[in-house]
Amino acid sequence: MARKDTVNALIRRGVSAKVSEALANANFKIGDLKKAPFELITQFISEEDAEELLKLIGAKKTHIDKDQLKASKKVTPKKESKKKVKEVKPRMDFKMPDKIPKMNEFEKSISAMAIKMGTPLPMALIQKVAAKINSLGMDKKELDIFMKEVVAIYKRRLIDSNESAGIVSAQSIGEPGTQMTMRTFHYAGVAEINVTLGLPRLIEVVDARRTPSTPMMTVHLKDNVKNDLDKVKRVASNIEKTQLIDVASVETDIENMQVIVKLDTKKLTEKNITVDEIKASLGKERKLKSDVQSEGKKMLVIKAPEVSFRKLQQIFEIVRDCKIKGIEGINRAVIRMSDDGYIIYTEGSNLAKMPELEEVDPSRTTTNSITEIYTVLGVEAGRNAVIKEAGDTLDEQGLTVDKRHIMLVADIMTNDGDVKAIGRHGISGRKSSVLARAAFEITSAHLLKAGLIGEVDALDGVAENIIVGQPVTVGTGAVNLIYSPKKRRNK
Amino acid sequence: MKMEYTRYELARIIGARGLQISMGAPVLIDVPEGLINPIDIALEEYDLGLLPITVKRSKNV
Repeated sequence: MARKDTVNALIRRGVSAKVSEALANANFKIGDLKKAPFELITQFISEEDAEELLKLIGAKKTHIDKDQLKASKKVTPKKESKKKVKEVKPRMDFKMPDKIPKMNEFEKSISAMAIKMGTPLPMALIQKVAAKINSLGMDKKELDIFMKEVVAIYKRRLIDSNESAGIVSAQSIGEPGTQMTMRTFHYAGVAEINVTLGLPRLIEVVDARRTPSTPMMTVHLKDNVKNDLDKVKRVASNIEKTQLIDVASVETDIENMQVIVKLDTKKLTEKNITVDEIKASLGKERKLKSDVQSEGKKMLVIKAPEVSFRKLQQIFEIVRDCKIKGIEGINRAVIRMSDDGYIIYTEGSNLAKMPELEEVDPSRTTTNSITEIYTVLGVEAGRNAVIKEAGDTLDEQGLTVDKRHIMLVADIMTNDGDVKAIGRHGISGRKSSVLARAAFEITSAHLLKAGLIGEVDALDGVAENIIVGQPVTVGTGAVNLIYSPKKRRNK
Repeated sequence: MKMEYTRYELARIIGARGLQISMGAPVLIDVPEGLINPIDIALEEYDLGLLPITVKRSKNV
């Protein structure tokens, strides 16, 4: 991974991808490059590239004597082997983040008690139990009885090992799913914004689509803003993407070869935009080469550089679609009153940009795009997003599915560190067993490829064993009996 | 400590023993009058702790 990091770091500094790859392959790191003599670098990349590189990373050009160069040449291979060993070692500067609060002494003692009784309890349960015990104030004897009961109940609720939990989950979600098709199919309004619901949405979640068909965000605001409607309106107008056409009428004047922008002052004050801002954002348009002149307070005129209808039309389109304000991807923002102040709902989603706005509370702001949550906040957040979206979709339809079935699905989807779809391109298509993959879809392609490269099937899963005609390794089939005559003699 | 079996393990043990009995294996208990079903006999044997069959569990479970 260190290699990839170096490449990324170099590219970020503006070094070309080819050069970065070459340097990373030679086992350079950013720190090394700064200190490395010029000759050493040019061994791997061309001189011009090296000079540009040094400029970009802000290092001085250092030269070495010829004999030193020889020495360094000898040193380089050694350095490489040394580094390879280093990579295996855990990085000392890297600390795993511990977001989970550590157990306190009391909780530890409870955990130890449970283990002594034969069943380790999960963290969440221990915390709950500890809180309960503290609030009730038990003595040692009562505590013992209480814990025995807790462990017994926990054990009773525990699933048996070798239970086919996945199939139970699949059926438990699938059966209500059939009812979904019969009921509503398409859209329902949430705060005047259309959101895909029902079966189409559930399919979307499970398929881990890059973008949902109706991306939507719920933007919560900070305490000092959320009750002030004027401030909230201002925030909403800052979020909502505003194009020039939204606040002005744009016309082409063919006679004079120019585009005329008539500003709507009412809308401008509503959205809190000044004429100078519009001029500035028009100036930022790279494709627009001609100057913007203002004519009076309400009019802007953009002249075409030459007499050409095509050019004029191009200018018209650029001016019309010019982004003046707002966040990319967010087409509409709607303000809604809630128990907890005003909340902004948006059509379109851009989670990464939200924390940049001062008034937005990023800890409560969320989106319905699972991929976005995953890229911005990480896998665990992605997993929670899958659980929430799938659960809410089912809930909204009035279907009760145990949360743990959905959690299992989410766990499987996010098990590898990214959000994978369930299906051909996701979980089912990447099973390690050839036979299981062949049993799912595109049978001949999988078998042919497996034959070509000589794949081995360990027959660990269910599908493989059914194909082969063996008992499956689930439930009773996973139990191995042994004969132990000792017991009999004792009796 | 007595090993606790999951329901699958229990089913497997009783099933294996029941098969043996049904095929004429010597029974470990005095079969009471009317007890004919080999599964019931196997269960009786299990309840009395006479069955010489246990389960081999894999280490990682």
